Amino acid sequence: MQIRVKCKCGEGKCPEWAVVELQGVVEAQPSFQDRLQNLEIGVLCRPSSQPVYTFKVGYHELTGSKVALKKPMLVLQKTKRTGTGDTDVGTDTNSSNVELQVIGIIRHRILFKTRPKPLISKPQPAVKEKASAPGAVASNQTA
Amino acid sequence: MEQPQLGNGGAEAVLNLEPSSSISIAYHSLFGPHDDLILLELDEKLLPDILQQRITLRGQPDEDAVLYTGSKTYGIKFVGNSNSALLIPPSDQTEFCENSLDCKRKDDDQQGVASVIKVAPGNMELVEVAPRLDKLKLLLSENPYTFQEDLEMEDLEVVEKGNTGLYKWDDLVEKVQASDEELRSELQALSAVEIGGYWRIVDVKHMDTILRMLFHNSVINDWSLDALNEDEVVSMLESDGYPHKLAHHCLHVYGNKVDENLGRQVWKLDERRVCVHFAREILKEGKRKMESFMKEWMQKIPEGMQASFDMLEGEVLTERLGVETWIRAFSVSSLPSSPAERFSILFRERPKWEWKDFVFLPSLFLLPFSCSYSQVVFFSLV
Repeated sequence: MQIRVKCKCGEGKCPEWAVVELQGVVEAQPSFQDRLQNLEIGVLCRPSSQPVYTFKVGYHELTGSKVALKKPMLVLQKTKRTGTGDTDVGTDTNSSNVELQVIGIIRHRILFKTRPKPLISKPQPAVKEKASAPGAVASNQTA
Repeated sequence: MEQPQLGNGGAEAVLNLEPSSSISIAYHSLFGPHDDLILLELDEKLLPDILQQRITLRGQPDEDAVLYTGSKTYGIKFVGNSNSALLIPPSDQTEFCENSLDCKRKDDDQQGVASVIKVAPGNMELVEVAPRLDKLKLLLSENPYTFQEDLEMEDLEVVEKGNTGLYKWDDLVEKVQASDEELRSELQALSAVEIGGYWRIVDVKHMDTILRMLFHNSVINDWSLDALNEDEVVSMLESDGYPHKLAHHCLHVYGNKVDENLGRQVWKLDERRVCVHFAREILKEGKRKMESFMKEWMQKIPEGMQASFDMLEGEVLTERLGVETWIRAFSVSSLPSSPAERFSILFRERPKWEWKDFVFLPSLFLLPFSCSYSQVVFFSLV
């Protein structure tokens, strides 16, 4: 069985994806488990010119940084070709309908490794289950 | 409660987040498991190959998948990640736009939303592996080309025989875990020849017959074995009833091309390869006393060639039984490529090995990457 790895993008033009990486699991409130689409997870902030970031999820704040990956990662999409059947006789060729397409590349991730810091005295908590419009939050932050 | 805008923001907004600014991270409207999305970690140096579509994945259903560049083979391993890796595509990633509006939307807001399409459970990693070329020999040995086939057909390009058990290049690519380059070089090492589109190993007896005919003809026609004229040799063998392709193949297997001389291709027979051929022939029936072997060997070697014992490196084993030394065939190149199998066969041959035995089998140590020298030393101390 042979799968070709295809790439439409060509060198240097591969769309770059972003990764926000947290330790642990992000969970929505039970009533929202089935309709996660479009739900806000949190707000990512960059307080200064350093590549330091904070991520507010619900009542917690995480601190992290943007790091370059040691080795780039490719985002591949597996597709099944639906075209006309092969007229090849002999060894199995039905497997040649699977294709892998390179659709993106990841070179950096924003990695959060700290323990979540509870935010107690916030006037407007960005509650997980509400899909609220993000306000301008940069100035609210305490280091 | 406002719904966050979809589509603007994206990966580029996250990666280029300006100081003193922020962005909302939300689940994409198409968020889901997306099992068809796979992350593959690979070396920077392999990027050009992949981006220029020179990479393929191959594997039989019962084998692990393997990745090939033109010249190398890599095993593919899934590595889980206990972290939550939120994947955010660029805002204009066509695969995830629900409608064209999402993609074309202008960045009206000061902040956009970066949408997470999937939480990746881990990624694929590549591990360089030695190609599993044993299978190639197995496949080609199913139906070695014998003299019967010479008799059966006039035209080698027409293969009347059913297709089972015969393999074309594409079949081999499917079935053997190796890159194209590795496959080609192994076909060469096996002295395989393409006949009628199918790759074949020629039966040794048949090669022997053709080789002897070549010697016979050289004596009659007073040809020098160091400067054989390709056209003369091939046409002479053809008139003796051997197919053109095989005559050619014989030169290839036992000789080396020499620079063309006035437009005629010249070949020089390789002494070592010819001598080894005759040694193998003598030892085909079993082990022989060293003296008797050497005597017969010297007799069989064609005029003008010199045989020396070191030519048999990697091809024979010697052992002392009583006061006498015996010799028998033992081809290192026929050993399986996996270290465990190789050692198991060696120890089946002989329960104990001394270091000096290995001196005569240095090619034994050309093992695939996974065998460390410490393993070898351990076994030899038995």
